[in-house]
Amino acid sequence: MIRFVVKRLWNGALTLAALVTLTFFVMRLAPGGPFSKNRKLSPEVIANIEATYHLDEPLWMQFGRFVWGLLRLDLGPSTRFRDYSVGDIIASGLPYSLTIGFWAVIVATTVGIALGVAGALRRNGFTDYAAGTIGVIGIAIPIFVIGPVMQAVFALKLSWVPVGGWNDGWRSLILPVIVLSLPNIAYISRLTRTSMIETMRENYVRTARAKGIGEWRTIWRHTLKGTLLPVIAYLGPATAAIITGSILIETIFALPGIGRHFVDAALNRDYPLVMGITLLYGGLLILFNIATDLVRAWLDPRLRHDG
Amino acid sequence: MIRMTAEPLLSIRDLSVRFRLPEGEAVAVDGVSLDLMPGEVLGIVGESGSGKSQILYAMMGLLASNGRAGGQVRFQGQDLLSLPPRALDRVRGQSLSMIFQDPMTSLNPFMRVGDQLAETLRVHQGLSRDAAWKAAVAMLDRVRIPDAASRARRYPHEFSGGMRQRVMIAMALLAKPRLLLADEPTTALDVTIQAQVLDLMAELARETGTSIILVTHDLGVVARLCDRVVVLYGGRVMEEARTETLFDNAAHPYTRGLLAAMPRLEAPLTPRLGTIPGTPRSGGGDVSGCPFAPRCPDRIDICTKARPPMRITGEGRRAACHLVEEAQ
Repeated sequence: MIRFVVKRLWNGALTLAALVTLTFFVMRLAPGGPFSKNRKLSPEVIANIEATYHLDEPLWMQFGRFVWGLLRLDLGPSTRFRDYSVGDIIASGLPYSLTIGFWAVIVATTVGIALGVAGALRRNGFTDYAAGTIGVIGIAIPIFVIGPVMQAVFALKLSWVPVGGWNDGWRSLILPVIVLSLPNIAYISRLTRTSMIETMRENYVRTARAKGIGEWRTIWRHTLKGTLLPVIAYLGPATAAIITGSILIETIFALPGIGRHFVDAALNRDYPLVMGITLLYGGLLILFNIATDLVRAWLDPRLRHDG
Repeated sequence: MIRMTAEPLLSIRDLSVRFRLPEGEAVAVDGVSLDLMPGEVLGIVGESGSGKSQILYAMMGLLASNGRAGGQVRFQGQDLLSLPPRALDRVRGQSLSMIFQDPMTSLNPFMRVGDQLAETLRVHQGLSRDAAWKAAVAMLDRVRIPDAASRARRYPHEFSGGMRQRVMIAMALLAKPRLLLADEPTTALDVTIQAQVLDLMAELARETGTSIILVTHDLGVVARLCDRVVVLYGGRVMEEARTETLFDNAAHPYTRGLLAAMPRLEAPLTPRLGTIPGTPRSGGGDVSGCPFAPRCPDRIDICTKARPPMRITGEGRRAACHLVEEAQ
């Protein structure tokens, strides 16, 4: 098991290195630079700025400088938010994104799996149709529609929860968590339902029925693991995406997370910040994929031996 | 119907299995009746689609969700078809158990083999974890799983196909059932180990006094194990006889066709094996005549018009064919 983890971590590090290298050069291939959208500056000033951020050096030197910084865990200063380092920016936004993301993953997983199982057990019953409706709504209606509608109803009209911001403790969390988890509830419940219906058709479930151990035990002991394997495969990468924040959620609910930096940094050609965020998301994605593999191997003995 | 003095362990009366399909209703089993005596091994023979496996599934309450069974299956004084689920679960796995066709997919891949066996005893006999595990290991040993105690801790994918089917046999016979249903138990196995697995099954069943219904398309298997044979075609019983009678003196043209299609060592070497012309009837709607009539070499006019009645043709023999004479 330890060998398996070490091997996966090593592969993950290689993947991350490739990702970072690619991002570094693709970013610089794109036209424009971090300061090209500012007002016209005199050539001396531009030369000065470029010298400060080492943009005047050849690309390979810039890359070397970046890698050297990375090894010392220093991602350098943001070119957009001049007084802050990339590390500061990520550290200031991440806790908000993590908190909302964490609860959204918990809610999406429990509600999604419960709805999916209920739908599969009572196929074409009321729960199944209700879950199906939530599924269609959650997938089809975008967050930027559901978010404002919920704000209008639950915050403005009913005043149950704040419209946005981060000043009301756990009550500030309610709407963003619901809106962020909704598409995932939809997806997870559909996935669970399909997977469970498929598993219930497996020959080994028929064998369990033939043993006369009762319907409940047949489902609990013989169908659940098979049902959850594909759901867990989805959850790993989805968790990495959810906890690193969403620009839509953070904009709609005025939250100071890091989600908005994903888009802003690229638009502003804030090279150091883009690299920092790529590293963060890529690293989390790789970690969660490894975690997913571990959980799957724990559930499925067939996956244990091929490292 | 066969008349014997002893009370049959199982009597099936007019069993039908129908499936609702988008294009209408398919009849898989059509008015099948048969009896089984305690300790007897009965073979049900037929080609694919003859409905032979569906008879077993109907008895076990394992028909697909669009399937319905009609008629009566009396087993130990109860009609299995009308039992509520809980009552059926007290029968299944306890006094009635089943071995399936494909051992590769019929065991739970997520569960230790020993646990899968022990589960049956824990649920039905309320055994403790330890006692059930010991019984499971002992049973694995009896089906000749080498090093059963440590093998019980392994998962199904660590077993070969033949070993898995032996595990299935162990699981099915663990609670010493009165009746074992075996649905083509060796079809998916290597020819070299088929006989081994079958003999093991028969031997253990004999020790526990378990009757067997063996569904197969392999007449060689029937000759090896069965006391009596029921030949099925198009969901109906064509003929029934004691095994040796059937092989020596088949009454029904379909049975004769099947026997002619069987390779024999002692027969003179001919370039081709016998075949039955045409393709097997797959369960459609009701047929008015004999389902085999379109392929029958001895067909006469009445065969396509009237359903042949089941005639008793001798001691423990019956056949459904217009050409067969009733015994006096």
